[in-house]
Amino acid sequence: MTHFGKHIRSRREDLRKQDKRFSLRQVAQRIEVEPAYLSKIERGDVPPPSEATTLKLARDLGEDPDVLLALAGKVSSDLQEIIRKRPKLFADLIRKMKEAPDHAILRIVREVRDGEW
Amino acid sequence: MIYLEDDQLEIHCPEVHDHARCSISFQRTLRIPDDGREYPLPPGLGDFPLRHLDDYAERLPEGRVRRGGVIMPMFQAEAMWLNFGGFSPYPFALKIATGKICAITGENWVNHLNTDPQDYIVLPDQPWLDGYCVEEGVIRQFVAMPLGEGYTVEEQLSGEAQHGGLQITAYPMKAEKFEEMMAGRHKEMSVDSMILHSPAEADMGLAPGGRMRQEIYEDDYGLDVWDQRHPARCFVTIANSTQWMAITGERPPIVPPTARHYTEAGLPWYDYYDADNEVVSGSEILKAVKSVAQIGKEKGETALPNNESVNGTRVVSIRDTRKRTVREYDDSEL
Repeated sequence: MTHFGKHIRSRREDLRKQDKRFSLRQVAQRIEVEPAYLSKIERGDVPPPSEATTLKLARDLGEDPDVLLALAGKVSSDLQEIIRKRPKLFADLIRKMKEAPDHAILRIVREVRDGEW
Repeated sequence: MIYLEDDQLEIHCPEVHDHARCSISFQRTLRIPDDGREYPLPPGLGDFPLRHLDDYAERLPEGRVRRGGVIMPMFQAEAMWLNFGGFSPYPFALKIATGKICAITGENWVNHLNTDPQDYIVLPDQPWLDGYCVEEGVIRQFVAMPLGEGYTVEEQLSGEAQHGGLQITAYPMKAEKFEEMMAGRHKEMSVDSMILHSPAEADMGLAPGGRMRQEIYEDDYGLDVWDQRHPARCFVTIANSTQWMAITGERPPIVPPTARHYTEAGLPWYDYYDADNEVVSGSEILKAVKSVAQIGKEKGETALPNNESVNGTRVVSIRDTRKRTVREYDDSEL
């Protein structure tokens, strides 16, 4: 079982304890795949699904899409597009931030400036 | 720190606790009739757009730019409510003012929390705020009006049209108090717990509109739990639709439906009630403030078009959920 499959199954079964709509069959129906395929994904018999299906799974299971894509070994296409537009700048930035703690990375997010009032 | 994401203010205080975060959005909505009757909660019709004020600094007077924060558009006489979301369990004390007058007490803005009377709301207990707390269990809806015409709460209470807009400060709970609270919850339940103005010619403020049933909850935690050393503040400048286009080059959202059209289309209003929380008594100061319709009548102006009373509202009760939005408004249906 891959880490991705294990994570999906664990999350779905946790949700199913509180809500029967999170059965394998019903989740598969909502994300528009065959139940047998979802079962194989959960068992790790097949590689993680496409970006589009992973995003549907994330929405259905209430997971962060970027985290789920990372578990699937993917980077979302919008992030790829951002990097492709300024490859050197973002490659340098990401490498430099590799070891930085979370709070330091959050500091480069553009803050809403507070002024005098 | 506060940043913008998908037209929401995202508030993070990583210097206090990794989980100290909440979000605020400004919801477009119907303006309820300002006719002295009490109405249930109107729907959310989507977020108002928010932009960094600094991005348009060259088109705004220096005095406005100095305030920082964000800018959003509102039509004159349009209503708005604040949605507190993010499903974060981390508690915040939130001060909210319009024109630097507290929306809960009617007192002048101060940069700290008070409990007598309580001048803040507590997240995530308080899911939203639709207006000024005028009586226990009753608010008067936030309605945008131009500064300088005497309608806003700021002008009525301070006698000046100086600030306008909306001001917010969020204080996270102290980290050690949060840890104690969460440890207590896990021990007891063993379950996871489930959270600015405009240029001189563009100033809009908020004024009190119709009456609505809404409770403002008391702080169950006490003043001592809030970390007042790490506030996150934001000034929300409000531009009218014409000014918004001139400043940002973007079209504002479409005009919302009237309360009558919405009700006649059979769409729901809402009621929310939390029996577990104590409620603050309303502000005598804000109770004495005149509504937009009352001032308009005194001045012989039609301050609020389409202000006729609405009957036969279909009310949906909401329990323990933050979902109050309806599908996208379609102009062709009405």
